[in-house]
Amino acid sequence: MPLFGKSQKGPADVVKALKEAVNSLEKGDKKAEKAQEDVSKNLVLIKNMLYGTSDAEPQADIIVAQLAQELYNSNLLLLLIQNLNRIDFEGKKDVAQVFNNILRRQIGTRSPTVEYICTKPEILFTLMTGYEHQEIALNCGTMLRECARYEALAKIMLYSEDFYNFFRYVEVSTFDIASDAFSTFKELLTRHKILCADFLETNYDKVFSHYQRLLNSENYVTRRQSLKLLGELLLDRHNFTVMTRYISNPDNLKLMMNMLKERSRNIQFEAFHVFKVFVANPNKPKPILDILLRNQEKLVEFLIKFHTDRAEDEQFNDEKAYLIRQIKELKPIPGH
Amino acid sequence: MSRDMCNTSKSLDSESADISDQEREVTNVIFNSKDEVNSIEDEENLFINDPNNADFDDDLENLNIANFFHKVDSDQIIYQKKKRRLKLIGKYVMGDLLGEGAYGKVKDMLDSETLCRRAVKILKQRKLRRIPNGELNVQREIKLLKKLKHKNLINLVDLLYNHEKEKMYLIMEYCVGSLQGMLDASPDKKFPQYQAHDYFLQLIDGLEYLHSMRVVHKDIKPGNLLLTLEGDLKITDLGVAETIDLFAKDDICYIGQGSPAFQPPEIANGLDCFSGFKVDIWSSGVTLYNITTGLYPFEGGTIFRLFETIGKGDFDIPNDIAEPLRSLLVGMLRKDPEMRFSLRQIRQHAWFISRPPCSSPPVPIPPLRDDALHKMTVFPYLVEHYYHDPNENSSDVQYFTEHELNEMEKSRVDSEYSNGNANQSSSKHNRRRSKKPVSCISVKNFPGCNQS
Repeated sequence: MPLFGKSQKGPADVVKALKEAVNSLEKGDKKAEKAQEDVSKNLVLIKNMLYGTSDAEPQADIIVAQLAQELYNSNLLLLLIQNLNRIDFEGKKDVAQVFNNILRRQIGTRSPTVEYICTKPEILFTLMTGYEHQEIALNCGTMLRECARYEALAKIMLYSEDFYNFFRYVEVSTFDIASDAFSTFKELLTRHKILCADFLETNYDKVFSHYQRLLNSENYVTRRQSLKLLGELLLDRHNFTVMTRYISNPDNLKLMMNMLKERSRNIQFEAFHVFKVFVANPNKPKPILDILLRNQEKLVEFLIKFHTDRAEDEQFNDEKAYLIRQIKELKPIPGH
Repeated sequence: MSRDMCNTSKSLDSESADISDQEREVTNVIFNSKDEVNSIEDEENLFINDPNNADFDDDLENLNIANFFHKVDSDQIIYQKKKRRLKLIGKYVMGDLLGEGAYGKVKDMLDSETLCRRAVKILKQRKLRRIPNGELNVQREIKLLKKLKHKNLINLVDLLYNHEKEKMYLIMEYCVGSLQGMLDASPDKKFPQYQAHDYFLQLIDGLEYLHSMRVVHKDIKPGNLLLTLEGDLKITDLGVAETIDLFAKDDICYIGQGSPAFQPPEIANGLDCFSGFKVDIWSSGVTLYNITTGLYPFEGGTIFRLFETIGKGDFDIPNDIAEPLRSLLVGMLRKDPEMRFSLRQIRQHAWFISRPPCSSPPVPIPPLRDDALHKMTVFPYLVEHYYHDPNENSSDVQYFTEHELNEMEKSRVDSEYSNGNANQSSSKHNRRRSKKPVSCISVKNFPGCNQS
């Protein structure tokens, strides 16, 4: 117990006080300044209950359980996120810390906060739209990635219409926001292997028509990052069906062949790793085979001169030699 | 007390000529009949570089063994404090020995440019040729390691060759030891559940990555799971790993390699083909069984017996292993690969999701040559190199006789006992050490050892 000042407030009191303060902050009335102060103060109190301070341990489990229960009942998590842009700089960080701590809470095999958010998916959607507001984008990003660790929450996000906004977020002009959005995007598409494979399979057309835009982006970083991720996705064993489908489409092959000739060497190199899958495919559909045959000589010539300075990269040279041999040996399907 | 060459020849035989002095940090010198002192500058020079002795141990059987038994009294053997000579391999500074496997030695190392601590696996092609598929496995492992990168998989940082000495240097992330080493040094040969849980989660993460890259490890066991100083688990040894073809419809494998006790029934029963990924699930199951119980689910005096018991697929779980761990073990050790858990089922299992409570202190990483902190052994070499005046070098070389050395060892062990930290494992450790005498004798000066 502190020697001076008021005696310590319980979780219920703090949550109630914080909710009132956020509400009045939302209204933006005359008391706004006072409300701002109250929000910061109560957020710090909650944070200290969860994390402790330099001279106090975190609160006992029973207090934390009470606090969590109050947060669920009062719907305060959603309220905080909706008003995140109104809270001051330190307060925004505190919200993210409190949120992530409460999210990780476990009782045996249960994660009560994850279950709670499943019943209140607006929390996730509000967080996702956070990328549209510069001043809260990165705070929302840390919370989103924490959510994406849980399969149930990742599923809600992937299968929502809002997911397709990511294709816009990863391209925004502010570099740090675009990169943050990209890492969340990548986490959602790669973290839970089976969930992701199912998602890509069932939503193949929609996802890859959006993805095509990233590969054609004006923005160099977007183009390069998305091409690298595409390679990773296609070569992941879990996405076998998606890979087979992707490499059967002649438009995709054309795109990769154009990217092999990009100005940037890094993009050329990433494109090589996708292009090789088209050529290595033992069951090439006719349209793919036709394109390769039509460009047979040019491709061999091109590949011989391709990145010849990577002499020490044995793997790359082996693959290149393999591709050249494969293309040289291509023959039209008999009977056509 | 007298000692003849018979003893020493044994240690030479086992090719440990340049190892045990690392442990003792002394090299010894023999006064030969002409009373001249032959100091050994660098243990590497002794056998490996000497053209006369280059294939010494290959031809051991052909030697006239009678020439070999040379009587040397113990007072004629004197030891010299080892000189610390700085040795560079490329940009890396060499340190002391960390461990030794069938394929070669592992030494401590420091990257002189980044100051990152590394471990180097030194492979001698001469040695590899004698192991069935040795060279092939190493080439395959290097190729695999180069394209794989994950937090829970050992990272190959650099690769250097010395063609003259026929040596390969695989520079890896530094790890302090394997789970097997920790188990061996622990009283019950097992971890408390929360500690096992921590390692198991990381094992599954690493395994999921390997499988997503279409790699079947085939040799998952505590001995192939290393730990870094930060406690990160690293899957190592992809010597028998197999890559599934990019366009293969399934994960069928045809060859079963790896450690017998960790092999699944389909391999023990000699099936022609089997699911590769499910092999890793099984051996991870045996690993989890082993690190939580200190036992093996299947045992047998011979490989034949062992495979017979594995083939039946019946096993017991000790009574003190309660749910939910029990059902996880049962799920991972199902005889039918089809019924065996997938990585996703493991991830969704209750034991995987909930962290067991901290019941007892964790099993520690055992000390390396009495150094519990695993201090960087490169440092003394650097100090010697930069701060030692070469002019006084010749005068302050210390010599010991065998007797003095034994006395020193005895007093060291005594003091350890009186400090009360002589637990079972450390005394066993000492016994083993004292059995292994300093072996770096300059044999090349004995006429009988040179090939005529």
